[in-house]
Amino acid sequence: MKSNNAWLKSFAIVLILFISIAAVNNIKDETPVALIKKIVKDVSYRPDDQSDWELAKTGKPLADGEEIRTGYRSLALVLFTDGSGLLRVRENSILHIYGDKEGEKIDKNTFIRRGKVGFDVAKQSEDESFKFTTPTVVASIRGTEGVIDVADDSTTTVICQIGLIALNSVLGNQSSGSVGGGSTAIIRKDGSIEVRQSTEEENNEVDKSKQSETRKLKLNTNEGKIEIEYLPDTKK
Amino acid sequence: MNKFLQFNFAVILLVLSFFTFFENAYAQASNTVSAVNISEAREGEPVEVRVELIQTQPISNVRFAYLPFGATEYLINDMELYGGLASFTIPKENVKLPYISYYVIVDLTDGSQEIYPLGAPDASSPEQITVKALSAKDKEIILLSPTRGEILPLDEVFISVSFVKATDNIHVPSTKIFLNDTDISENALFAGELIVFYAENFPGTISDGNQTIRIETFDSTGTPYHAIESNFQTVEAGYFQAVSSKFKYRGSIQAEARNEKFNDESEWYNNITANFSGSNDDWDFSAHTYLTSEEESSRQPQHRFSATVASEWLTLKGGDTYPRFPKYMLDGKRVRGFYGDLRLGFINVKTTFGEIRRDIEGQLLETYSSENAPLSSDIIAINEARYGNPFGRVNLGTFSRDIFAIRPSFGSGENFQWGFSYLHSKDDNNSIEFGAKPQENVVAGTDLKIALDNQNIIFTGQAMASLFNSDISTGDLTDAQIDSVFGEGSIYDADTDQIKDLKDFVGQFITVNQFIGPLNPQELSSIAAEAGIQLNYLKNSLDIKYIYRGNDYQSFGQDFLRTDVKGINLVDRIRMFDNKVFLSIGYENLKDNLQETKISTTTYQTLNTTLSIFPRTDFPNITLGYTNYNNENEISPTDTTNNIYLIDNKTNRFLARLSYDIKAGVDHATSLSISTSNRDDNSLADNDANYTSMSLSVNSYWEKHFTTFLSLVNYASEIAGLEYNYFTFSLGGRYKLMEDKLQLTASVSPSFGDFERKAFDFLAQYNVLQNLSFIFQFRYYDIADQSSNSVAGLTTRLNF
Repeated sequence: MKSNNAWLKSFAIVLILFISIAAVNNIKDETPVALIKKIVKDVSYRPDDQSDWELAKTGKPLADGEEIRTGYRSLALVLFTDGSGLLRVRENSILHIYGDKEGEKIDKNTFIRRGKVGFDVAKQSEDESFKFTTPTVVASIRGTEGVIDVADDSTTTVICQIGLIALNSVLGNQSSGSVGGGSTAIIRKDGSIEVRQSTEEENNEVDKSKQSETRKLKLNTNEGKIEIEYLPDTKK
Repeated sequence: MNKFLQFNFAVILLVLSFFTFFENAYAQASNTVSAVNISEAREGEPVEVRVELIQTQPISNVRFAYLPFGATEYLINDMELYGGLASFTIPKENVKLPYISYYVIVDLTDGSQEIYPLGAPDASSPEQITVKALSAKDKEIILLSPTRGEILPLDEVFISVSFVKATDNIHVPSTKIFLNDTDISENALFAGELIVFYAENFPGTISDGNQTIRIETFDSTGTPYHAIESNFQTVEAGYFQAVSSKFKYRGSIQAEARNEKFNDESEWYNNITANFSGSNDDWDFSAHTYLTSEEESSRQPQHRFSATVASEWLTLKGGDTYPRFPKYMLDGKRVRGFYGDLRLGFINVKTTFGEIRRDIEGQLLETYSSENAPLSSDIIAINEARYGNPFGRVNLGTFSRDIFAIRPSFGSGENFQWGFSYLHSKDDNNSIEFGAKPQENVVAGTDLKIALDNQNIIFTGQAMASLFNSDISTGDLTDAQIDSVFGEGSIYDADTDQIKDLKDFVGQFITVNQFIGPLNPQELSSIAAEAGIQLNYLKNSLDIKYIYRGNDYQSFGQDFLRTDVKGINLVDRIRMFDNKVFLSIGYENLKDNLQETKISTTTYQTLNTTLSIFPRTDFPNITLGYTNYNNENEISPTDTTNNIYLIDNKTNRFLARLSYDIKAGVDHATSLSISTSNRDDNSLADNDANYTSMSLSVNSYWEKHFTTFLSLVNYASEIAGLEYNYFTFSLGGRYKLMEDKLQLTASVSPSFGDFERKAFDFLAQYNVLQNLSFIFQFRYYDIADQSSNSVAGLTTRLNF
């Protein structure tokens, strides 16, 4: 019995050590990749695809892989925690935030499932990357301002106002190209990349995407006062 | 002098006994300047300067002269005058390590000047602004929110600090966050390398207004590692609701009534200031008006007004503007008129036109017949039919002077820009009746900037040429006059047709007559040029510049340029130990007499060295400096004909400044400054000058609502055998009460010795509402055997 006890003790110690090592190896860096700087109206988040959407609040940290969603006439401003950039997530958009941290550098990747995202990204150091991924393209960015719009049919429009964006389509013929300041690229499901000079309407779109100020509507009802905050229509 | 030494010794003992009660006092003796307030100077960021005036009654203008370390000469700019306050912003490109020297020039209405500090920059040391360096450690602390200067509604305030880029030296859990000097760290959430503080979870932590945030980091042993400071502004939640329409605006109106009593004379001054700013999408609008009872037709304008429309690519401004063109041509001079700046990147155009001086009518004192008129500069021809005689003695008036300048340029300016500039300025001969010698000026030139290797190599250069006519009252030369003066057998043997062609060409730009200059353009007498290279490698920032300014160069857009000088200027700033230690070395060698218009050539040599230590830990910041001026010309002391023009002087100047924030019960910001200068003048004037000044100050923050300040200044000089010594003691405090609605500030500042003055200041500010405040100010100054004066004023301010 004594020997059994010794075996059990040894087993328990090995088990504890094993579990501890495994736990240590599985501890994720708990530093969030981004946080929500501003919220207008209906913005929600969830840790992964399996979870329920929860209402987001200003200052909500976003960990690697978390997903955010904006509703009708809503807006979320998202800041990356390495100070590298700002995303303006416009209405009816869904995106995932990914960040792979190694030492002092973070490789950022934002997957836009649908909707429109304005971005203002600082110049990245040589060993860091900042990417946007959509169902049709991977866009690598260095010091750029612009807008990415993912339509319901997954066609992606990349409007580059300042800087240079490298593009690699992920469907069809998987072509590659780049779009510079003042130009627009359209990436279709067949993998084609069409680059042309931005139209005035597209330039206005970039400017409008920077709008983050809201209007408030106050209503006196029998139930009391109701205050509605909303993002003005930017399509006009 | 023994007493002075004894005093200094006593002060040093006092300092040692208090361990590290160091100081940074700027108070100096002055009859016009009460105090100079300067915002924190950080490398590459603009610095706000505010000069508080004791009284405005005798002051016509205030100018700010400043010298970035290693620069060739002081840059002098008019300050904006608003009642008892003069303000100026030092542009960010001139805020360089390790310090900026400055003095203030106060022009009085009787034509005299007063310099603050007295005697600066030659007979006493100018004041200095210590410029703080940006540290590599700054990048380790990322303040994500709020960003510097951000305006936030109270319900959206959250503070977030990221240490994602920090090295392992920072122990994140030990980080302290101070909001307006209150430690809020324990209420912050730590998520890995991110710290977040939600203001809404702690009601009352923050109110609307200006906010200061300070983040202090420590290593794992608890030793301070690095700290950063930022500021932002909070507004009521309704603010953005109010401005959420497309057109956003805000503004303020301030009215002041002030009584100044100088001995038995008493005078009231009233002024009103209104500011408005707004924006609509990409366009910003602003308007500014300052109306004062000091406006008089016998002075240059005291009212100020302007309106601006600006976007990212265009600026249009009307009213009083201070356009900046290449500095040799037009820089910071007030133009009442129009300013426009179109910035398209590849091509840009900047222009201004208007009045830089308004007309002030002269006064007829006496008339003379042709036979009796004496020769004198104030005797001018007058309207005989009107005044009975053809000549009169007058107090000369001032002609109005218009200006036009334009600068097209190519390139955005980040890595390349090539500009071409033209300026024309002319007095209006008909603007006054009693004036003499209206003048005209043309300047044209080019400037270039090329930056390579990510701005590590920067070439800059500019070259300007000027034409100046010192009397245009007679107009252009006629062809008949040219024929009579030039040509074969005449005074000047020159081809008259060529002269006429030249006159026709030059006459398109400027009046051509016998008063036009330069007379020796082939000697480059009216050229001003400089070329420089800046190299930023291996923690060194090396600037090498060559300057050339002919003796006849003149621009009406730049009054303060030193001409008749050429030579090199070299400055090297070396950063060491993660920007904690800076060694700055400057050398300049300039010569005058470029066109041999003087008896002898003088060589001006300056060696300037500074060692600055900013340990960023619990130890004083230290700046040690040594400057040597050596000026001499080629005249021998034994040359009895010319030795009155002998220049041979050497000056040695030493400086030590220490500043230290210590915690002795409560926080004290202390500093100590000692400077001494010795000039040995071997000229016949034997104008030797020695001075030593020492100042010590302690600002104590007893609690959130109560601070005190104490300063001691001792100044001793001997200039050309005349001693001048004084000692000033200042003690004051600031107390906030009634939930910070009422702020009381009072100070006493007696001076003893050769400058005997008693000064008392009192200020009460009451914020009736969030956007409405009243300020009462009272000052009393008594200078022994000279004057006693008081100033009492009430100011109302409304923000909307």
